[in-house]
Amino acid sequence: MGLISSIDRVMHNPQPLDRVDDILRPAGDNPIVQRGWATTSVDALMNWARTGSMWPMTFGLACCAVEMMHAGAARLDLDRYGVIFRPSPRQSDVMIVAGTLVNKMAPALRKVYDQMPDPKWVISMGSCANGGGYYHYSYSVVRGCDRIVPVDIYVPGCPPTAEALIHGILQLQKKIRRTHTIAR
Amino acid sequence: MSETQTNSLAERLVARFGEVLSKVETVRGETTVEVAAGDLLQVATALRDEPEFDFSELIDICGVDYLGYGQNEWETTSVSGAGFSRGVRGEATGRFDWEGRPRNVEMERRFASVVHLLSIRHNKRLRIRTYCDDDALPLVPSLVALWPVANWFERESFDLYGIVYDGHPDLRRILTDYGFVGRPFRKDFPLIGNVEMRYDPDKKRVVYEPVTSVVPRVLVPRVIRDDVDLQQAKAEAADHWQEN
Repeated sequence: MGLISSIDRVMHNPQPLDRVDDILRPAGDNPIVQRGWATTSVDALMNWARTGSMWPMTFGLACCAVEMMHAGAARLDLDRYGVIFRPSPRQSDVMIVAGTLVNKMAPALRKVYDQMPDPKWVISMGSCANGGGYYHYSYSVVRGCDRIVPVDIYVPGCPPTAEALIHGILQLQKKIRRTHTIAR
Repeated sequence: MSETQTNSLAERLVARFGEVLSKVETVRGETTVEVAAGDLLQVATALRDEPEFDFSELIDICGVDYLGYGQNEWETTSVSGAGFSRGVRGEATGRFDWEGRPRNVEMERRFASVVHLLSIRHNKRLRIRTYCDDDALPLVPSLVALWPVANWFERESFDLYGIVYDGHPDLRRILTDYGFVGRPFRKDFPLIGNVEMRYDPDKKRVVYEPVTSVVPRVLVPRVIRDDVDLQQAKAEAADHWQEN
């Protein structure tokens, strides 16, 4: 009993111990936060910034683009997640490939991807972008946009609902949070 | 229906053009004429300008490939009535081997260009079919001078079928990729194509390669022409239970 209570007092000590461990305590009784400081690792800060403002390159190719518009419109409102569609690859972090990627469009898609600044991610939206889908056996369709650009998240569906796309975006946020830019 | 014209469109066409039209028929209210390629320009000009016809608007131009026309790939007469069944039986393994290739058996000429016209004044529609004399170089006169809208339609037909429109001001591909080889809507063009695309990280650009990721196959259609519901309806209709 004596051992447990002493450990418990150390773990939930209401008084500041002036130790490094204090920064790990929850915000309510974290003495450093109470004094107006915020502490974090640089990695977590960068990931927080990246996940909070994922600006997607608008690459609507087919009917999936309509669902992407739904995701951005008033009801589901991607702005809540800091997702703001950009018309320029120079301002984008994420490319959402929404629709059928045909052979004639593939060089343009790759060029736009190459113009995006690092770090960049790709969401493949819908069956056609994932693997050719309905047009897998067609002569003019790329059998999956991962043949052209590296893909991080695949959103299945034909077309995926707007909710599914948002789920994919949240999955990508989760994936970004797992990455370590500084401490590898 | 035009109230000012008493006789039908087909009759007026025969009366006006006579032997120039090799065939005039009206099926389900749709009038179709067949014109030799050499006469198309003259006939089309008359159809546009003469007030009797006044086909002021060109609706569509499309190509047709009659290779293998009338050949059955699938036997669809007998139909399974129960469960999820295809109801078709392949007559061959599909058009993969040389024996199963599509051949011209019923049609003596392979390519045709079909024009759809609309007369707004008379509320009439007309279909003109022109067979190309030479299968190797299908040649049809261009209608761009008569209806400028024909420009892109003819480019499309040229792109997909390889029909050459004589007199077209800018006959080049319109739909397929830059540098595309082949005429994809021809019956002997493989559906999966000859090349596929991927990004080459060494060359830092997308490259075409021969198709390796898929094998050709034929999608088997499901035929519901004579299914169990129809049989049931026929049996009920034949059973005069009220009389018996």
